[in-house]
Amino acid sequence: MVAIINSGSSLTNCQKGTTFHIDRFTDEQIAARLISMGLLPGSEIRIVRTSPFGGACYVKVNDQYLALRKEEAACIVLK
Amino acid sequence: MHSAEVAVGQSPADFKKVNIALIGNPNSGKSSLFNLLTGLHQKVGNFPGVTVEWKKGDFRLDNQQEVTLIDFPGTYSCYPNSQDERIVIQNLLDPDSDTHPDAIIYVADITKLENHLLLLTQIVDLGFPVLLVLNMADIAEAGGITIKKELLEEQLRCRTVMVSSRTGSGVEALRIQLQELINQLQGPIQVQPKLYELSTKEKQLSKSVQEIASGKTPYHGLLMAHHHSWLPFLGEARREKIAKVVQQTEFESLRAQVTETLQRFNFFTPLVKQAIRTQTTRKSQVFTEKLDNILTHRIAGPLLFLLLMLLVFQSIYSWASYPMDGIEAIFGWFGEGLQQIMPDTWYSDLLTNGIIAGLAGILVFIPQITILFFLIAILEEVGYMARAAYIFDRIMQFFGLNGRSIVALISGGACAIPAIMSTRTISNWKERLITILVTPLISCSARIPVYTVLIGFVVPASTVGIFNLQGLAFMGLYLLGIVAALLTALVFKLILRSGERSYLMLELPEYRWPVMRNVGYTVWEKVKTFVWEAGKIIFVISIVLWFLSSYGPEAGMAAAIQETNNTAAQQGLDETQTADLLAAKKLEASYAGIFGKFVEPAIQPLGFDWKIGIALITSFAAREVFVGTMATIYSIGSEADEYSVRKQMAAEIRPDTGKPVYDLATSLSLLIFYAFAMQCMSTLAVVKRETNSYKWPLIQFLYLSALAYFGSLLVYQLLS
Repeated sequence: MVAIINSGSSLTNCQKGTTFHIDRFTDEQIAARLISMGLLPGSEIRIVRTSPFGGACYVKVNDQYLALRKEEAACIVLK
Repeated sequence: MHSAEVAVGQSPADFKKVNIALIGNPNSGKSSLFNLLTGLHQKVGNFPGVTVEWKKGDFRLDNQQEVTLIDFPGTYSCYPNSQDERIVIQNLLDPDSDTHPDAIIYVADITKLENHLLLLTQIVDLGFPVLLVLNMADIAEAGGITIKKELLEEQLRCRTVMVSSRTGSGVEALRIQLQELINQLQGPIQVQPKLYELSTKEKQLSKSVQEIASGKTPYHGLLMAHHHSWLPFLGEARREKIAKVVQQTEFESLRAQVTETLQRFNFFTPLVKQAIRTQTTRKSQVFTEKLDNILTHRIAGPLLFLLLMLLVFQSIYSWASYPMDGIEAIFGWFGEGLQQIMPDTWYSDLLTNGIIAGLAGILVFIPQITILFFLIAILEEVGYMARAAYIFDRIMQFFGLNGRSIVALISGGACAIPAIMSTRTISNWKERLITILVTPLISCSARIPVYTVLIGFVVPASTVGIFNLQGLAFMGLYLLGIVAALLTALVFKLILRSGERSYLMLELPEYRWPVMRNVGYTVWEKVKTFVWEAGKIIFVISIVLWFLSSYGPEAGMAAAIQETNNTAAQQGLDETQTADLLAAKKLEASYAGIFGKFVEPAIQPLGFDWKIGIALITSFAAREVFVGTMATIYSIGSEADEYSVRKQMAAEIRPDTGKPVYDLATSLSLLIFYAFAMQCMSTLAVVKRETNSYKWPLIQFLYLSALAYFGSLLVYQLLS
């Protein structure tokens, strides 16, 4: 169910703790950086938690942990 | 070295020293490996032309081959996002650079191979002979790992060796492999490996670029096309030519970069899956997630951060007091002993009152500085710094900074110089500049001596609960620095304009137990630098100061002696009192005295007398000179044998009122002055190089001096 609701929506709108797959990115500049850090279309991604003062989220991608700002997460479109 | 061709038995002279670069992603265990290979034979230097700091170490392989190993900053790909990464790419692409490597040791974390191979494949395509080191840092725990090494070697076209940078196992094998790699350098050039197939358009572009700026491989030419706008070694003429070609071929850099990167991942992702099998969830990951549930918790996270900082400063204050007393006692004993055995001449006076007093004043702070560097190195080593950046990114953004700025601000507590250099990881120029400008407001270790001495006159040495009151005051001064840094940052944020985008995108490495070897090397190197650099300046200044405060214009000195004799006769002073009075009068008539008196009108509203004036002037070179200067001045100004600066200062009396000089108002005013003032030549020099202009260090110097002067003025006028 959840996967269907979130289909095509960005990472910022998705539920914490659930694993999704990256479909594509909406911003080329951010995408170039994310890709070189190993976030690829098809990668598994999960929001672990959001930061104390808002603004950033703690995500797990494949086998590593990353801190992304809301704007950065917003350009990640999920499958 | 052109030795004759020897047929049998190579002598060490036959081996040219080779440059080997250590390259890898951030958190791949590169620095641990560097320490393992080079031990204490490391030097810190700057890349030619820019100030990016590198670490270099020399070592010898078993066949006597000499190797210079250069530790490059951690990098994700050949498409740099920050100054740090640009340096790496620039050195790889410029064959004429002094630090251009002959071969590369590439370090990859075996648990993150899927990400760490991107840069490796790019470097192989640049035509470098590469030795791939698979670092098993933390997975001695994971018995469940199987690796098909031969498959990796064959597909990636490079030698592979497994090492644990934590335990050091595998390093011997690495040295043997490295030896073979170097031997091959002398042999015929091998067929160029192509892990990425350039598109037709890219091939054509690369060829044209190679005609302009000769590249080793097609990929080398392609990268120069991507990065021509900023690669410094190209120069104007070639840059313009390449720009023209890029335009003609309608080459879109960003799109091409994404396509290339994805194609590389398509190549090695299946390979990694085939070659390595790990457990799905590793123990260290479980541990990291659990620990971060607390450490990065919405409420507990920031609170724990503050508590951690409080503990750091408490420990600087309380742990260090015993070794400090010990060092003070040794110097006291040593100075007195020297005075007794040496003849009573000018040079023994120079030695005891000038040099030893000055050096003792600074060496006594080694314990505190060591503790601070130690604790910061631990925080860095376990991976906590990245968490702090994540927690505070939002707040930092409000003040015009980046989450990464917190790393600079925390390490600024040790020294502003490495802190300013660490800002190179901030890709946004405005955020980076503001971080550089405000970092000196964070109280660095050189302020510890000044604070320690002066806090004693402001706060009693008692404890409330578990807290040492002086320790709390100490913390208060650090807080003052932090608040001032943030507010100034806000001001700069409103003044400076920039349309550049800002990013966080920060890797949060798994927590790991600190490798004490790494912490040890860091602390040793930093304390050594501090003592050596500060020691040199203090040594010179002590000597100059001793001369300036022991000699003066003849007429003035004669008058001082005359005056003392008159006073002594009138008031019937005994021998010691007369000697003390004479020493004080002579200091006042000396060149240093004249100098101090000259600046006195300007600093009198801040509650400072001419003796403090002398210290203010000398400590513009480096603030830790303050204590040494005080020690020298008061040793000369009194005949009493006292090697503790604190006691000397406490005994100092204002001649007009008969009250102590270091009362609450003056001491606090002086503390404020040292908290804000830009008294460090080295920092200014680094800011000049990092910002590549005189404008920013000048602005920084002026605003900090103004802040210090008016801050002190306000405090003194309110309290006195």
